[in-house]
Amino acid sequence: MTPAIELEVKNLNFYYNGDIHALRDISLPIYKNNVTALIGPSGCGKTTLLRCFNRMHDLYPNHLYEGEIIFEEKNILVRDVDLISLRSRIGMVFQKPTPFPMTIAENIAYGLKLKGIKNKSELIDRIERALKHAALWTEVRDKLNASAYELSGGQQQRLVIARALAVEPDIILFDEPTSALDPISTAKIEELLGNLKKEVTIIIVTHNMQQAARVANMTGFLYMGELIEYGATEKIFTNPDKKQTDDYITGRFG
Amino acid sequence: MNIEQKRKIEGFIALAFSSLAAFIGLFWLVFILGDVIIHGIGALNISLFLNDPAPAGVEGGGLRHAFVGQLMITLCATLIGVPVGVLGGTFLAEYAKRTRFAKIISVLSDIIVSVPSIVVGTFIYALLVRPLGHFSGWAGAVALSVIMIPVVLRTTEDMLSMVPWTLREAAFALGAPYYKVIIQVVYRGAATGILTGILLSIARVAGETAPLLFTSFNNNFFSWDMNRPIASLTATIFQYAMGPYESWHRQAWAAAFVITLFILALTILGRLVLKWRYKQ
Repeated sequence: MTPAIELEVKNLNFYYNGDIHALRDISLPIYKNNVTALIGPSGCGKTTLLRCFNRMHDLYPNHLYEGEIIFEEKNILVRDVDLISLRSRIGMVFQKPTPFPMTIAENIAYGLKLKGIKNKSELIDRIERALKHAALWTEVRDKLNASAYELSGGQQQRLVIARALAVEPDIILFDEPTSALDPISTAKIEELLGNLKKEVTIIIVTHNMQQAARVANMTGFLYMGELIEYGATEKIFTNPDKKQTDDYITGRFG
Repeated sequence: MNIEQKRKIEGFIALAFSSLAAFIGLFWLVFILGDVIIHGIGALNISLFLNDPAPAGVEGGGLRHAFVGQLMITLCATLIGVPVGVLGGTFLAEYAKRTRFAKIISVLSDIIVSVPSIVVGTFIYALLVRPLGHFSGWAGAVALSVIMIPVVLRTTEDMLSMVPWTLREAAFALGAPYYKVIIQVVYRGAATGILTGILLSIARVAGETAPLLFTSFNNNFFSWDMNRPIASLTATIFQYAMGPYESWHRQAWAAAFVITLFILALTILGRLVLKWRYKQ
């Protein structure tokens, strides 16, 4: 049986700086409770596509979306979408860990407070749950009031994941989440992604093809702003339909 | 003479000249500070802080009126200058970022920082003293705040720009509106830097005399009234140092010592705060 569709991209074109055509006519479904990987060489548009899902491009002038991204039966690319509530439904984790200059507990509480949760015991409860969820609880339970900067890079990244999880989003976007981390931290985060997909839909941009093969159910290959091929990870990596995909995954370019 | 010897001699000459220049600069600095300390410590006594001036030429009395006046003026200047400076810097670094307007304001602020302070004094004189017909503590506070604002504004702008953009994006990605991103995340990241800028700007204006001569003027009597001329340490030092009495001279030295110490303490505190930040 095919899983339910969480998000559907329809004929998406994206331009920035006025006229740079970064995404060309992209259409793909993102399935619920799946890990979807976006791969491709540098500059292919995979991060640009990821940042369309939570309208991150809106922070910068001179951008233009064309086409649709359907989320809960609504096009989230239209002008009057409430970005604040959209971004609390679709979270994001960045390449470099981005803990806020606060304590570990305050970092997690930040998104919850934005949502209007002020009850102290509920906050404590949800901080603990989020940290357990991100497999960080046992490491930080005794220093919740320490600065988040005291953690290692890998721990900081899991803290950021916990922060994203705490607001209970439907989707979390990962933009090369392990490219700044050592192999052990990377393995921990990959394991985490596998566990998290039971509750959230994950879209991950990665440079690392082995990583995509390890964590993703579905994989999309982008090249020069176009979605060349999209399908089950196994098929993309063993028996792709397009020659370009084959060339890329076998390391002939990019 | 071969080329290596020549280089060595050139190196020695460069070293000698720069050492000499540094020595000349340091000599006067140490000389001035030493003079203030030697004359100042001897003239310090508790009566200086507790009593108002004795009648001219009479021994004793103190400078309580000037200490209080100085604190009032500096405090009011800080209360006016810091919010304007911090909010202005926030506007430039966040809302008007990369616009031509922000660049122009930044450059103008840098210019105002180096405008002679007496120009600021005469400007406020024309704005707040002439129209109202009298000198006032408020005019003095405004003059000092005009000197403070560009310093605080530029420091705030620089410190906010140093907070990485990814941190803001991370807060946006959680669904935070921009003002909350600034107040809760960006300010926290830049807090110590901004605090250092504020402390240094207070230190900068606390020693000003010229802008006060045209604005708060001076007062030989104790006063809390910011609507009237009010005493300041710096103007009092000027008056007493020029005066004919030996006791005035001694009090001027003591006051100079105290204000130097105050500014030194603020500067050191500012640097400590900055150091503490980098340790984090």
